[in-house]
Amino acid sequence: MDISLNPGTEDLIAVRCCDVTKTYGSGTAKVSALRGINLDVYRGELLMLVGPSGCGKTTLISIISAILQQDAGRCEVLGRDLTTLEQEEKDQFRGASIGFVFQVFNLFPALTALENVAVPLLIKGVAYKSSLAQAQTLLDSVGLASRADAFPGQLSGGQQQRVAIARALVHNPELIVCDEPTSSLDHKTGHEMMNLLGDIAHRSDKTLIIVTHDNRILEFADRIAHMEDGRITDIGTGKARGQLL
Amino acid sequence: MFYVALKMLMGDRAKYLGLLLGISFTAFLVTFAGCYFAGFMTRGFALISENSSADVWVMNPAVDSAALTTNMPDSALQRVRSVEGVQHAVPLMLGDVDVHFPNGRFQSFQVIGVDNATLAGAPFLVNGASPEVLRAPDAVIVDAGGTSGKLQTPLRKIDQWPHDGVHLDVPTRELMPGDELLANGRRIVVEGRSKTIPRFPPRPLLYTTYSNAARILPAAMNLLTFVMVSRQPGISAHQLAQRIEQRTGLRARTTDDFKKDTVRWYLINSEDVGDIVTMLVLAMTVGFGVTGVMLYMFTYENLRQYAVLKAMGTSRRTLLSMIFFQASVCAFLGAGIGIGLCALIGAGAATIDFPFRMMWFTPLLGVLGVLIISLAAALISIRPVLTLEPGVVFSGR
Ligand SMILES: Nc1ncnc2c1ncn2[C@@H]1O[C@H](COP(=O)(O)OP(=O)(O)OP(=O)(O)O)[C@@H](O)[C@H]1O
Ligand SMILES: [Mg+2]
Repeated sequence: MDISLNPGTEDLIAVRCCDVTKTYGSGTAKVSALRGINLDVYRGELLMLVGPSGCGKTTLISIISAILQQDAGRCEVLGRDLTTLEQEEKDQFRGASIGFVFQVFNLFPALTALENVAVPLLIKGVAYKSSLAQAQTLLDSVGLASRADAFPGQLSGGQQQRVAIARALVHNPELIVCDEPTSSLDHKTGHEMMNLLGDIAHRSDKTLIIVTHDNRILEFADRIAHMEDGRITDIGTGKARGQLL
Repeated sequence: MFYVALKMLMGDRAKYLGLLLGISFTAFLVTFAGCYFAGFMTRGFALISENSSADVWVMNPAVDSAALTTNMPDSALQRVRSVEGVQHAVPLMLGDVDVHFPNGRFQSFQVIGVDNATLAGAPFLVNGASPEVLRAPDAVIVDAGGTSGKLQTPLRKIDQWPHDGVHLDVPTRELMPGDELLANGRRIVVEGRSKTIPRFPPRPLLYTTYSNAARILPAAMNLLTFVMVSRQPGISAHQLAQRIEQRTGLRARTTDDFKKDTVRWYLINSEDVGDIVTMLVLAMTVGFGVTGVMLYMFTYENLRQYAVLKAMGTSRRTLLSMIFFQASVCAFLGAGIGIGLCALIGAGAATIDFPFRMMWFTPLLGVLGVLIISLAAALISIRPVLTLEPGVVFSGR
């Protein structure tokens, strides 16, 4: 069921999953979360992953971002076969190449907005001072320059998500993975957020995979992958699809 | 990342303070126990410290501390004096005697009989006068020896040597020069008071000459408890002690060794050591309880933050070192607070004559205790982080 693979575009592919399966638990508690996923995501595209609750969306992006190990099948991300990586290499890979945006922003409450943005750089071992300097640039680009010293608790939901987006980008990852980035936000803020993310994707040639329930943001997608019961049933073109391929 | 760890730690004020409190408490109690031990040991060998000019102490071979003694024949003094390398050797007699006060009250004293000729071992008086006063007939110097209220004699004439029995609950004053007492039925005259190192266990002291001590102590075969020896130049205290043991068959110890012997004796024989050990165990247990639970709760509640860090590529090793770093920060701050507090209390304790001595090893003991509990607390806290699934970061809770 190879829907999207075009021959001769290998170097344009950011993520390639072949027959990926994942089962949780065992015996009667066994849940087949993924039942053979085949998916290509191109470099520079914004792919949205939609489907009913429990169909395996989070499981799939966990595997793609090297957080979870699949049971069978191959998953190549940014040219690396994840199954061949040791735990430590996976940590490094995530730290260097993937940016995360979560539904519940997951900011560090004890750190200021600026420090929160700097964390991925600190993890990579960049010195504190220059981490903060780079973080400031990112914070400026999401329009929060003036709130650099605020703590997450002092920011609105939309502002927190902007901080989270700046944090996902600060270390210049090639792949950005977002799990329901707008579902904790109101419609207008969600739109702003998607504008920001879409802008980033198209401007800097980054690959975005966004899991969402939010029909109102589908217009920002280049392509939309529909999932059902652990399978991808359909991949369609989103409204935003331009002259990408 | 240590910066992030520090911020996380301080971000949760309540638990951070709880952690500090637990650790400070442990540091305080452990250091306190150490100081108390050092304090009462110092009092335990007060007699040895008081005679610091002695290089070697000679005693009955059966004696192994200054706390519990038996005597030697008087001839031992001559035998020690005849060993080459001995500069001076003076006798010291210890004994216990019941002293009756003029109103009929009695009190047990330790008698310390010093060399008639040199008065070596006798203390200076509280007014700075020399112990020469002991040369008067029946003269004694009294010392509270760490006790309080034991040197009270009746104030009024009518309560002194009454003919109608004892007068116990009467107004009193402290003993003064000129007061007469009965020691084992013999008259003694207080010629002065001294304030030497308090004793452990506390007991009032009666300094007098060797011959006067022989007069008032109950008749016994042997009276000589110690011979205090000073060495000639050119021989070490150790060599001299060895030589004295060889030549006389008596036990001879250098001052330092004799102090150590005495400390060891207390360790084995004193019930107070047991109390101190109980105190240490309590301090460690409570400290560990508070610290361990707090750090565990702290880590547990921040689990999602650790999961986010893990998802963002933080290695296990870094996560672990963050937790150990947090524990160490608390350990060092807590140790500082606890030991500082102990030093303050110590300054206060010194003024009320409490056996308390901050020695070099006591803060170390506090730090060690704290390190052990912090390490243990960190060890139980890393488990949830190690088994953490970074995937939880995607869940909406
Ligand atoms: N750690 C786990 N242990 C056991 N079962 C799990 C675990 N995580 C997910 N599942 C199950 O796997 C299936 C797919 O879960 P997943 O979270 O990927 O779905 P989802 O599409 O992200 O759902 P939602 O839209 O509600 O977030 C579900 O049936 C879920 O109950
Ligand atoms: Mg999900």
